[in-house]
Amino acid sequence: MSEDDTRRVGDHSLADDCGHSLDELADYLATGSSPYEGHYRQCPQCQSGLASLRSLGDLTRSLAEDDARTAAESDGWLQDILSNLRLETRAGRSIPIASDDPDDGLSETEGAVVALIRRTGDDIDGVTIGKCRLHGDITEPGARTRVELNVTALHGYRLPTLVDALRSAVAEALTTHTELDIQGVDITVTDLFGTDGAGEDQP
Amino acid sequence: MPRVTPPERNIQLDALPDVVLCERATDGDTAAFEVLARRYGPMMRGYAVRLTGSTADADDAVQETLIHAWDHLGELRDGSVVKSWLMRICGRRSIDIVRRRREHADADTLAEVSDSSPTPESATISGSGLDALARSLESLPEEQRQCWVLKEMGGLSYEEIAEQLGLTSESVRGRLARARARLMRDMEGWR
Repeated sequence: MSEDDTRRVGDHSLADDCGHSLDELADYLATGSSPYEGHYRQCPQCQSGLASLRSLGDLTRSLAEDDARTAAESDGWLQDILSNLRLETRAGRSIPIASDDPDDGLSETEGAVVALIRRTGDDIDGVTIGKCRLHGDITEPGARTRVELNVTALHGYRLPTLVDALRSAVAEALTTHTELDIQGVDITVTDLFGTDGAGEDQP
Repeated sequence: MPRVTPPERNIQLDALPDVVLCERATDGDTAAFEVLARRYGPMMRGYAVRLTGSTADADDAVQETLIHAWDHLGELRDGSVVKSWLMRICGRRSIDIVRRRREHADADTLAEVSDSSPTPESATISGSGLDALARSLESLPEEQRQCWVLKEMGGLSYEEIAEQLGLTSESVRGRLARARARLMRDMEGWR
């Protein structure tokens, strides 16, 4: 297609009057700058061209939203995908467990311990664990270890009480299920849920 | 208005913000990952259908995207951008799938495949500007349609589109101009 064709599309014969094509205006919209910005602002043809470019872009994005709504309504396809998804487990490092016979080589995975910590947190009212890290040389028996946790707290719970309850529950679970020497559980409340701005960044 | 104490026992997983879901999924929580997949899957699928022109290819693209995302989630520094990160991967996968299909099919079969539209999605949109736009988009040559969708739905720059499609920025610009001209002409009746 020649440049002429492009200019003549729609009901804007831009080139006839001011010499600025729709393509040029589209470049301006895409990049946000043009040496002719001043002209566009006061030229009725360019204004009208920009308006129709914007509305075509807006309509395309509305179509995307409509596509997503349609896809959400019939989610059999998503079920199929999710049930076919084989997600590899995150084992992480190997944490030794002492045994009467050292040749047994008993161990548990870091991933299993992190999952244990997460479950422990989820069982406590008002708190949800996000990131969880084990700091220390945990591949050595009885390693001195610090636990680092990011948590989201539910609005309405008293934070110090919540954090203390979580800290002791995590320490207890780790003492029961691992041989790590827990030096401390460092908790950062990264988000308050149920207040403005939290938990609302969903589509 | 502040809520009174305490409104509920705990936070449902599917109500958690993206950042927390990403942290949990990075640590191996498959349930948190599934919430992300449900939250953004429909958006990805819509995008992939427009890019590939086929629901089967779109499902493959979404599946590949999710597998890639699970394996690379740890590299995402900021969980709040997971939506655009997923859409970007999905766009890339969709283009790759079309390219693979093109490489494996001879020209005749390819023509049949790309003529298989309208997709089920577009059939459900009725009597609106969206309907007209959907039909017009489907009638575009593949590369023009992909350029348009990557730019207007995916928000990619000319350079990013060029990189994904293996074209020069200038030819992306040309394809976009032709796509735009065609779409505007087709939409004229509707306006």
